[in-house]
Amino acid sequence: MADQAATVSDPFAMWRDWVANSERQWNGFLNEAMATDQFSQTMGRIMDVYLNMQKSMNDVMGRYFSALNMPTRTDVLALGNRLTAIDDRLTVIEGLLAAITAPEAGRNSHIKAEANPAPRPPRTKKPA
Amino acid sequence: MAATATAVASSVESRVRSEIERALQRSIKGLEYISTGDPAVGLTPRDTIYSRGTLKLYRYRAMAGEVYRIPVLLIMSLVSKPYILDLTPGQSLVEYLLKQGFDVYMIDWGVPRPEDSRLRFEDYVLDFIPDCVDHVLRDSGEPDVNVVGYCMGGQLSVMYAAMHPGGPLRNLACFTTPVNTDGMKLMKQWSDPRYFDVDRIVDTLGNVPPDLLYASFDMLRPASKLAGQVRLWDNMWNDEFTKSFRIFDRWASDQIPFPGECFRQNTKELMWANKLYKGEFELAGRPCDLANVTVPFIHIVAEHDHIVPYESAKDLVPLVGSADKREVMLKGGHVSLVAGGNAIYRLWPQLNTWLSERSV
Repeated sequence: MADQAATVSDPFAMWRDWVANSERQWNGFLNEAMATDQFSQTMGRIMDVYLNMQKSMNDVMGRYFSALNMPTRTDVLALGNRLTAIDDRLTVIEGLLAAITAPEAGRNSHIKAEANPAPRPPRTKKPA
Repeated sequence: MAATATAVASSVESRVRSEIERALQRSIKGLEYISTGDPAVGLTPRDTIYSRGTLKLYRYRAMAGEVYRIPVLLIMSLVSKPYILDLTPGQSLVEYLLKQGFDVYMIDWGVPRPEDSRLRFEDYVLDFIPDCVDHVLRDSGEPDVNVVGYCMGGQLSVMYAAMHPGGPLRNLACFTTPVNTDGMKLMKQWSDPRYFDVDRIVDTLGNVPPDLLYASFDMLRPASKLAGQVRLWDNMWNDEFTKSFRIFDRWASDQIPFPGECFRQNTKELMWANKLYKGEFELAGRPCDLANVTVPFIHIVAEHDHIVPYESAKDLVPLVGSADKREVMLKGGHVSLVAGGNAIYRLWPQLNTWLSERSV
């Protein structure tokens, strides 16, 4: 009797349950539809169209920037690659310098000295 | 009978009154919702102790007077922002670990730049992670480290562990980490090699755009977006709900590009050929055999994970070679497991207990 009263008295709870159930049912139904070859094939075609458009746009923009004597995306990426290579070399040099200045695995690392000047708590904690 | 009818009528009346009040609140709060910006996230104080390209290695400032000896390094996924583990004060795994007395570091891969499309798993597993581990050891002054990996970060972590047996890794914890891609049925179907031309995608686009990734994650639960909006409207009067909704919604839509070559490798070798599961995966010509993982290992999975279904995650524990290994299944979904309101009662204490007794 109490359950009946609770259900009757709260139509909003019924509505919320309906939303949750509908979500579950639609997810199940759509997941089934999307787990088919036809869906994958359609997705593949849509992707093809998108990639064709993207490629055409890249080509047109590349020619446009070349005509204006401005760097294209490829030029900027090539520059980025060279900067990354320099960055990588600097990282190696930095690592070697750190190894020279802190031969004992980081006891006096320059990184610790620069970035973390605050005192640190002791590493003595034991599990409760 | 008459008494019951009266009680029902009175209850209906009070519910209608309450709903009218909520409707008014929805209008007021709805305006607030639209007019205010995204909530701040990732607020736990930290220092960047190392950076390289877009990669940043953070060390979080201690919140306990005494910490466990072994530092903890959090390794994140390549395709989502790391602040999911540090949402807001009180809803942050990082903050929780700091308060429990852990020395916490985190690798933030950053947003890959167009020139980063050349990066492969080899770069992450054989170069970036070992490099960051070295910096953690140097910074902490300790000879070993614990690693915690979430989702794809878990994949990177187990690959690192498999490729560096006998290294400084002391304990490994993974959350919702896929290993058997046959268990990811929808993703596998959508990336069917007959229709999914991964070479053309990477050759044309370089890095895979975040919109594409977001759409594919969304399509796993296609009706949930709309249902989520309905729930938001229903709960607009509730400040706690809207705050939480905004934070998760922000994170979910805040995807980052997938480095192109890594995506190609992931699709061909992991999704299509399932090589990691079959023990055939190689990095730089060397086998990446999960049986080489011998450190204590825990894998925590979510009961209702739709992104990494249990079928794709359950084989991880059997595959690793550790003698001390276990799988724990907890209630929750892929994200709520690590950052939801109940994570503080479920996942976080599990991790704390497991890690603390192995961190001295």
